[in-house]
Amino acid sequence: MPLNALFGLLALFGAPLFVIIAASALWGFYQQEVDLSVLSIEIFAIAETPILLAIPLFTFAGYVLSESKAPARLVRFTQAVFGWMPGGLAIVSLAACAFFTAFTGASGVTIIALGAILYPALAQAGYEERFNLGLVTSAGSLGLLFAPSLPIILYGVVAKVPIDTLFIAGAAPGMLMLILLAGWSIWRNRDTRTTLSEFSWGEVAAASKDAALEMPLPIVVLGGIYGGFLAVSEAAAVTALYVFVVEVLIRREIAWSDLPRIVRESMVLVGGILIILGVSFASTNYMIDAGVPEKLFELTESRVSSQLTFLFALFVFLLILGAILDIFSAIVLVVPLILPLAANYEVHPVHLGIVFLATMQLGYLTPPVGLNLFIASYRFRQPIMTVYAATLPFLLILLVSVLIITFWPALSLFLID
Amino acid sequence: MNLPAWWRRLDKVGAAAENTLLILSLGAMIVLAVAQIVARNAGIGGMAFSDELLRLLVLWVAMIGAVAASRDDHHIRIDILSRFLPFRLRKSMRVVVDLFTFAVCAIVAWYGVQFVASTREFEDLAFGKLPLWWFQAVLPVGFGLIAYRYLLWAGRHAFEALSGTQAEGEKEEGAGDAP
Repeated sequence: MPLNALFGLLALFGAPLFVIIAASALWGFYQQEVDLSVLSIEIFAIAETPILLAIPLFTFAGYVLSESKAPARLVRFTQAVFGWMPGGLAIVSLAACAFFTAFTGASGVTIIALGAILYPALAQAGYEERFNLGLVTSAGSLGLLFAPSLPIILYGVVAKVPIDTLFIAGAAPGMLMLILLAGWSIWRNRDTRTTLSEFSWGEVAAASKDAALEMPLPIVVLGGIYGGFLAVSEAAAVTALYVFVVEVLIRREIAWSDLPRIVRESMVLVGGILIILGVSFASTNYMIDAGVPEKLFELTESRVSSQLTFLFALFVFLLILGAILDIFSAIVLVVPLILPLAANYEVHPVHLGIVFLATMQLGYLTPPVGLNLFIASYRFRQPIMTVYAATLPFLLILLVSVLIITFWPALSLFLID
Repeated sequence: MNLPAWWRRLDKVGAAAENTLLILSLGAMIVLAVAQIVARNAGIGGMAFSDELLRLLVLWVAMIGAVAASRDDHHIRIDILSRFLPFRLRKSMRVVVDLFTFAVCAIVAWYGVQFVASTREFEDLAFGKLPLWWFQAVLPVGFGLIAYRYLLWAGRHAFEALSGTQAEGEKEEGAGDAP
């Protein structure tokens, strides 16, 4: 055990997480006198999990989209549809970011790709600087609950829950977050003088035409999966090919010479996530061998008596977890351990997944390691404390929606079975 | 810190090799997966090998991606404490962390060789004809390369800790940065 404390300390000093997980698995297996080649055997399980194919393919598609001018076309289209409403551009920002994040997997790409367009546009339309900063920062992880986001796929893999079911379950909770944030944006700006655009069918038609090649994307993904034509990983392959053909071959917005860099950047993210998944296969097996789930059982059994208290304890735990751990590591490390606990309190694994992801989404915005805070601070050249303060009201609204999602299981479950 | 020219060239060749392998694997993945859908809908069979190949390609992309992430020191990490340390202490702490990473990856690579050797001994096959160990070898090779990368990082950070200056070509890493 003291050695594991040392590993924890090294993690806090910036050792890669996969190394920490590998080290504790190695140490555990060593004590059980298991041959250490077991680690490679467990990591090889990556090649025995067909659904993982979806992860590199969707990630690549998301990176290509973010490097093209698709974000600008997406903003133009949403602006044409919502721009006339009071608070319209704020809603445009939320909707566009949510849509985009679903495809880019909430890796911070959204703030970089869309923030660059939305942040100056909001200022120009007359919104207050602080509001804009908070809005763009918090919208950067908003689409996390929408298909085909990477964290949902990863949860499905780890919890062995059908991913198409999770995609459906995430829709309403994701909409709830979007609507609450939109409502607050309208109310907050009720006295702000902003320039609204006139609604015109002409502009809607022009913007649609402009984005005509990107519009079929959600239909390809969702229609393919729920029409029964495509498995999730096949939909990912079609999306990757489609995006490549549209942005590189037809529109030529991405030069061939940029492709190696885009492939490398997207696969560095994929490698970083999958290697953590691989070593966590090993550490999970070790923990199950060592009876950790049973110990957790005993620990909670005596203290947590009802489903309600369990959900509350889970909420607090995930809030803290999200503040220190990124969403991908949290999923692979923690989900296998809390899944049997949740079953004990009759929490549906799909509901657990949505609660898990929704709460971890807050982690993008909470100090000390909230990724979006740092990206926004860097991208918009604002001191980190300013970003904290600007994001706080949005964080509170999201907190409220996570509470609703946690204690109202039907919101996640009413569309499935 | 001036590295010899041949070393810089080796470095460039390594990065180019990573990129080439990543592009080839990803390209093969997209083409194979789409071809599979087309073949299924056209009622053509005979794509049995592609399922297995696709799964092995995911492992390859994962490992090569992780090696590429090590070159840029872009692995997912927590790192909340080091930013409170003064420059030299922070860099010294990095050396400890780098050496730890090197050691763990070297151990995984070492035992990975045994894993591959035993597959070779049992003559397990991929696609019913190729030796499976060819494809598994990416594990020890990948971890070996990651270990090598962090040994280099340790050297670089040690140089920075001793000289008290930032080495060229590297920007100060942001705390809590994920790739």
